[in-house]
Amino acid sequence: MQEIVRAKKRKKFSFTPYLFIAPHVILFIIFFLIPMFYGIYASFTKWNLFTDPTFIGLDNYKTILTNTESTFYRQFWNGLKNTIIFVIICVPFQIIIPLFIALLLDKKPKGRNVFQGILYMPTLFSITSVTLTWLFIFNRSLGLFNNLFGTDINWYGEQPYAWMTIVITTLWWGIGGNLIIYVAALSGIDKSVLEAADLDGARGLKRFWYITIPAIKFPLAYTIIVSVIAQFNIYGQPLIITGGGPNESTYVLLMYIRNLAFGTGNSVAGMASAMATCLGLIIGIISIGQLILLRKRSD
Amino acid sequence: MKKKKVIALLLATVMGLSLMACGGKQKGNDTDTGTSNVDTNSGTENAAEETQPDVKPGKKGSIEFWTVFTGADGSSMQAIVDAYNATNPDYTVNHRAIEANDLYLKMPLAIQSGEDVPDVAINHIERIPLFQENGFLEDYNQLIGDSVIKPENYNPKAWQMTEIDGGHYGIPLDVHSYILYVNMDLYEKYGNGALDDGVLTWDEVKASGEACKADGIVTMGMAWHRVKFLASYAQLGGTLSSDGVTPDFNNDKAMQVLNTWTELNDLGYIQKDGDSPWEMFLGGNVLYCPEGIWMYNNVKEAGLNAKMYDYPTFDPAVKGNWTSSHQFVIPKNEKRDADKTKAVLEFIDFIGNNSLEWAKAGQVPAHNAIKEVAEFNEMPQAFLADQNEELKIYNYKYYGYAVESLDKIVAEVLFGRMTAEDGLNQAVQETKDRIEMGQ
Repeated sequence: MQEIVRAKKRKKFSFTPYLFIAPHVILFIIFFLIPMFYGIYASFTKWNLFTDPTFIGLDNYKTILTNTESTFYRQFWNGLKNTIIFVIICVPFQIIIPLFIALLLDKKPKGRNVFQGILYMPTLFSITSVTLTWLFIFNRSLGLFNNLFGTDINWYGEQPYAWMTIVITTLWWGIGGNLIIYVAALSGIDKSVLEAADLDGARGLKRFWYITIPAIKFPLAYTIIVSVIAQFNIYGQPLIITGGGPNESTYVLLMYIRNLAFGTGNSVAGMASAMATCLGLIIGIISIGQLILLRKRSD
Repeated sequence: MKKKKVIALLLATVMGLSLMACGGKQKGNDTDTGTSNVDTNSGTENAAEETQPDVKPGKKGSIEFWTVFTGADGSSMQAIVDAYNATNPDYTVNHRAIEANDLYLKMPLAIQSGEDVPDVAINHIERIPLFQENGFLEDYNQLIGDSVIKPENYNPKAWQMTEIDGGHYGIPLDVHSYILYVNMDLYEKYGNGALDDGVLTWDEVKASGEACKADGIVTMGMAWHRVKFLASYAQLGGTLSSDGVTPDFNNDKAMQVLNTWTELNDLGYIQKDGDSPWEMFLGGNVLYCPEGIWMYNNVKEAGLNAKMYDYPTFDPAVKGNWTSSHQFVIPKNEKRDADKTKAVLEFIDFIGNNSLEWAKAGQVPAHNAIKEVAEFNEMPQAFLADQNEELKIYNYKYYGYAVESLDKIVAEVLFGRMTAEDGLNQAVQETKDRIEMGQ
């Protein structure tokens, strides 16, 4: 008995598992945790990156949250509004479209792997090459779309087209990631359950809603949360496609943040950090809220 | 399980947050102060950082030379550096091309830490006033004395713009201007001899408008609005700040510039919003198109019958081309001795005297020696080598803030989505706010 207890104790203090996770933890601390805390600290300072930061308490937050006269107030709220608009338009499609395609692929059509490969491929490209491709397609006079359909749409200079261009580009780029998760999840559903449902007369939508969805709810919840976080961090697409226009209606928060922190001239890093911290808090709160909601539903 | 998930999620959030705290990592278009025209410049300065292979040090060591030339111009500069190293100098030169925004972050950090400070670097002229104020740069007045560097050897405007508070902080490598390209075939048909006096005015642009429009030709292509605004505004005598500190470009002169363009848009004489005028110009559908001199190789490749002229004016007597200049600066470094500094000056002088290669990259070398080179005089940009007051170079300390605020509004005003007054007020306010918080 004593032997066993001792063995257990020894096992408890084993050093090996920590060795295995050490590389990740060390990198995580150096590249994520420390910069994050430093970023939060910076948000309470006035700092141009080159001189020592001056602690100014909550002034930056006061400015961006309440000072209606300030450029930073306008930029923060406009950026946040645009970011949220994008998340609201984009995320549902980013879930529904790959799920629909995954359901089709789950029917095991001929060339299934080829389709899956083709649909996944854009995910591997860099955002720059993806957006450039779509820039060519949506160019007003020389672009493929307008020439093919005989339209004269100002795709990236007018709303709602500017958002449409950004969302289409994002979807084309990003659906592959969710798609393979759904394909894997769907193929993991126990066929006997589906057959039983069939025998009980559950078909089509009903079967999808009552059998398929509950069976893949964890991968689904995961993709929703990850997609929301990813889309809150939107940056490259509007930067390259619309440059934030027309009238800063696609200028998202990260573009303002980067511009303030690493634009031309002295950095306004304190203000940028305050904006980043607010955005991070919002993402955190929304993600936790989603998780709670999803868990409640699944209980 | 529940707990674990929440922890995992928190960690994910933390990661997201920290990413943002560092600012976005991705970078697409570059809002830099120099030549880097993101719309049309075929990526001369947007390429990734590239490090040139190390050269074996000379008898006394080597000179670290940082530049912003990461594109095709990088190889032109490397060729000149190689030619210098082939003369067996005491100090060989190590050329390191760094993407512009990175260089402007790395260089100050290196100077502050005193480690790996470059011995000489290329900066865009607009960056120099703020770097000088921050105390990063050596004053050439203390260095050149009776060395090989002589102010009178250089383009006077490009030299004079780095005189700050009685010191001198840059030696010009080149000037590069934003000028006017004219499609000569279309000009024959629609130009009405507007260029007989060698200058195009905005009224003359208007005069060609209806005929062009009837045939589906764009009279004036408008892109990279910030520098066009700066050129026209400077022609009218405008400055970004009257006292050199507080921005005040929300005035009548600026309104006049923007309203002139809005009128052209209302009349339908410029390209439709959303079109890329430069591509259309290369395709032969645009009569006049302002662009940088460094884009000439594009025109040549397209086989277009096009010529370079001065940027359009309000008054034919007052020309003005927005111009920037790549300048050699010497970052402060206590460890650098007088001997090495002398070698740096000799290297700078060598480049000035051997800059044909640089002209071939589409630039106008600022050293007068280039004017004696027959091959240069046949180049289309050669007319700029003799210009002085026509070169509108800005050295406002907060130029970066001002132009980034202009980027947000000029196109909106041009295409009628914002009034000139609102736009300019917003831009001035943004510049002011950033100045206050970036101290």
